[in-house]
Amino acid sequence: MARTNADRLPASIMRLPVIGTHMRPNIEAVLAQRPDLVLQLAGRKEASLPVEALRKHGLKVAVFHASTFAELFSVIRRVGLLTGSEEQAEVMVRGLEMRLTALDNKLSASADNRTSRPRVFFEVRSPNMLAAGQAGLVGEIIRHAGGVNCVADKAKFARLSEEEVIRLMPEAYLIQRGPMNPAPLPLDKRPRLRAIPAALSGKAWFVDEQKYSRPGPRNVDAAEELAGLLHPEIKSPAPKVPTSKHKDTK
Amino acid sequence: MTGKARDSRAPGRILRANTLWPQSLWIGIICAASLASAVIACGLGSFPSPPAETLRALVHALGQAIGLHMGQPVDPALSVVVVDIRLARVALAWLTGASLATAGCVFQGVLRNPLADAFTLGVSGGAAFGASVAIIFGLAGGAAISGLGGSTGILPLFALAGALLALAAVLALGRAGSGSMGNMRRETLVLAGIVVSTFLSALISLLKSLDEESVASIVFWIMGSFQGRGFEHVRLALPYMAVGLGLVLWRARELDLLALGEGQARLLGLDAGRSRLWLLIGASLLSGAAVAVSGVIGFVGLVVPHLLRMVIGAGHRTLLPASAGLGGLLLLWSDVLARSILPGGAELPVGVVTALIGGPFFCLLLGRNSQGGA
Repeated sequence: MARTNADRLPASIMRLPVIGTHMRPNIEAVLAQRPDLVLQLAGRKEASLPVEALRKHGLKVAVFHASTFAELFSVIRRVGLLTGSEEQAEVMVRGLEMRLTALDNKLSASADNRTSRPRVFFEVRSPNMLAAGQAGLVGEIIRHAGGVNCVADKAKFARLSEEEVIRLMPEAYLIQRGPMNPAPLPLDKRPRLRAIPAALSGKAWFVDEQKYSRPGPRNVDAAEELAGLLHPEIKSPAPKVPTSKHKDTK
Repeated sequence: MTGKARDSRAPGRILRANTLWPQSLWIGIICAASLASAVIACGLGSFPSPPAETLRALVHALGQAIGLHMGQPVDPALSVVVVDIRLARVALAWLTGASLATAGCVFQGVLRNPLADAFTLGVSGGAAFGASVAIIFGLAGGAAISGLGGSTGILPLFALAGALLALAAVLALGRAGSGSMGNMRRETLVLAGIVVSTFLSALISLLKSLDEESVASIVFWIMGSFQGRGFEHVRLALPYMAVGLGLVLWRARELDLLALGEGQARLLGLDAGRSRLWLLIGASLLSGAAVAVSGVIGFVGLVVPHLLRMVIGAGHRTLLPASAGLGGLLLLWSDVLARSILPGGAELPVGVVTALIGGPFFCLLLGRNSQGGA
């Protein structure tokens, strides 16, 4: 019945009223909608204050956290339970689980994957470089796509210098494009990263922030898309990749 | 009253300093330390770089720069790290530190206010506002912030324009409060600077509120950093810094006269208003260019001139170049700390490092100064 300013997918929700931003939802606007249930994705400390305020006003608020596919599927099931759409949620989760299993099987059958799991670097933001660390769904997406996240930091995000990116020697370089990284440069326009294997082989792609960094069913699309990019031999249903050196997966 | 007392101590300091070390020796030591530090800093960082390989990379790059084949080529990745990343950062950090310290020295001399620097006069606030506008309106993607890929570097230009516009606003306010440009009162200028800074800081908060996704980018830019900067930033800032430095060094003697007080300076035949305006423009070019390529970096413009006045005296013909050298040295090492102190290749904003070093150090200086003056 309402969304935050940052919620833009699926496109059909764009007609819904906006109750503020995801960092500072407007309590008054939420109350005005008289919702039976408020859903919030955990993560930001400052966002827990409005939750307390809403609970004080007698609203039911469910806060979820998902940093693995298992947790994501559990969240989908619980949202289904809370909204009376258990069956629909179960069908969705089974479909997503089957797609992930099929992807795992394809990759383990592929000779290439048995011999190499490319070292992948996921750029969350630049030039104040922020990379995806081991925690969080991006790491899961990379693992399921047959790659290894070369950033060893156990946190969700890691702040790194260019020098450290070169030291990590990534074989594939993903640049997310979206609100967190609105106008990133392609890798071939970054002369200081010219010596990394991903730049030398041209394995650098722009990816959609909404698909990779926002928890949701689209993360499975992301895993399939990335598997197709990292291991083209598995013929995953990856989208058309332009022939230019820096391919845009959007 | 305190101003008079402070001025009356300055000649004593010059004499006392002269009897210990010749001033030119201090400048020589600072220059030698800067060169040695630059070479050492090029060997420090998360990427493994043995000293011999680092030197080979530097010699090879130097040879290429002057069109000679010097040294053997090294591993391309090491060459990028040592030359394109570390040497570029060393150069930019040194130039930025030199500019901030020189500008601080000029602002303090012109306004005869020991706390005057780029912040007090709204120059840093103006640059921060310009950069925030560029970030908010999406002009500051990777291309704009880093100035790479043939881009003109929109963010630094916005920051520089912001810095110069802020100074123009401060000067206009100063003139309005004093009657004419020639008679601008230094108290009015400092007050105008604080008013403009506060106003711009409110505008930055407004921009941050309007676009929450950009908050992190703005905050990190304002904290100051050399991350992702390269020789293109050196090329961008150097002309403004060179003009600014030339301007203030050319008028260093006038700065000495202004420091005696406006009345005395006029008696000695100085057109105080014109001198002050040119010196302020020179210092603003220096600090505007520095802030434009590095973000807001505090304390360098305060600590360095104060420390040097205690050591080599208050004569600006020596104090200005010495401030440039020591400011460069301080920021060079602050950046080395910022990029190497955290494990796992993470970086601290260099503005945080200078504040952590400069804050306590400035308190010590203040304590020593008040004991000396008592």
